[in-house]
Amino acid sequence: MPGIDECLLEAMRLPGARGAALVDWTSGLALGSVGEFPGGDHEAAAAEAAEVARLTAEQRAFTPDGYDRHEHADATAGPGAGVDPPVEDLIISNRDSYHVLRFVPTSFDSSVFLHVWLGRPDGNLALARIRLGEMAGRLVLG
Amino acid sequence: MTAVRTHPQGTTPPPRLPVREKSGARDRGGALSPMLTRLAAERATGVLERERGSLYLAEGRVVHAESPLAPGLDVLLLAHGTLAPAVWQDAVDRADEEYGAARLLLDAGRVPRGALELCHLEAVFDAAYFALAPSSTPGHFRYGAGHWLGAVRPVPVDAVERETLRRRELLNRLWPDPLSDGAPLRRSDAVAAPTPTARQSAVLALADGVRTAPDIARELGRQAFHTLVDVRRLAAAGLLTALFPPPRVHHAATAAVPGLPPRHALAESTGTAAAPPSPGITLPRVNDPDITLLKRLRDALEAL
Repeated sequence: MPGIDECLLEAMRLPGARGAALVDWTSGLALGSVGEFPGGDHEAAAAEAAEVARLTAEQRAFTPDGYDRHEHADATAGPGAGVDPPVEDLIISNRDSYHVLRFVPTSFDSSVFLHVWLGRPDGNLALARIRLGEMAGRLVLG
Repeated sequence: MTAVRTHPQGTTPPPRLPVREKSGARDRGGALSPMLTRLAAERATGVLERERGSLYLAEGRVVHAESPLAPGLDVLLLAHGTLAPAVWQDAVDRADEEYGAARLLLDAGRVPRGALELCHLEAVFDAAYFALAPSSTPGHFRYGAGHWLGAVRPVPVDAVERETLRRRELLNRLWPDPLSDGAPLRRSDAVAAPTPTARQSAVLALADGVRTAPDIARELGRQAFHTLVDVRRLAAAGLLTALFPPPRVHHAATAAVPGLPPRHALAESTGTAAAPPSPGITLPRVNDPDITLLKRLRDALEAL
């Protein structure tokens, strides 16, 4: 069963991967990180990525149809039963790289996402999305 | 006219998450607890007990943290059914020096390693935030004491200290008044109130004039610091107010809750709540909407 480090090392095997981190979007804490990050500071990168992730997760515009109902059902089922994040992932591209932020659903209350930084020449967004989704599932579901 | 929104409709614009100041943190890091810095340097093993929580060290690294103000790993894992209470209790009962409860759970395949690491790390930083809060009494260290959970993912002491300082700064930027961290919370009507997020609504629903932020965190099975972030945002939006002084009638009731420290003891230790007024002195009605608004205005101006 993979732990946080194994999961991040697996993310680093994606084509073009420069850095990978597991970040809490409420506090901005990097729970783990490998490789390099823009500006050479993974803690600063985590805090900045966390801010973007939090805004995305809280925007109603990005919430799928029926999410409120699902949430309401959970709220009545028990005190804040596990709710999947409303957003699956977030992709940011610039001239030389991609950032893929994948929200991690957990069975306990949390607010974490996987952040992978990919070099543009080798990066493959479609592959990264699929793999990160699988990794996020394996990380917390075994 | 086209409105350009950079924040969710109707909510307070979010402040930037603070970034750790490397140079400053190095100077100030030791100031959090000089004793902790020394223990890390000598690679000590044992437990540092401070006023608001404990840090467990193994060879100078933080392996566990506990605070009466933060829900423990058990609360986080049991509240939403990640683990069955019987499974958890069994692992706790069978844990010994060699096989901690964490290892027993992992070996038995009761919880995925990633989930346990993640939840435990969050719980450690959550409790450490309170354990490293300024205290009025000196902490003391018991050498050799281990924790029945066992090591999951040890964290360097300086990482915990820097994160704790960063979290303090984050809360201060959201809303500079720390009163809402420990006082009973009550919903308030705000003019042109922003719509709270789903997570904030859950916090609001439990604000009944009796529960404090740590109480709400425990009830939601949610990290205390996450709850403090939501509470400060709600306070900044005017949707939540801290009751000050705390209603005295609740003291006896809440002090009797097992597992929770007497609230008045904590309030006194933090210095955020005054001692009960002597008879004959009438305190101003600080929860009056006008006074509350003026106080918020003053706090906001001071924060500029």
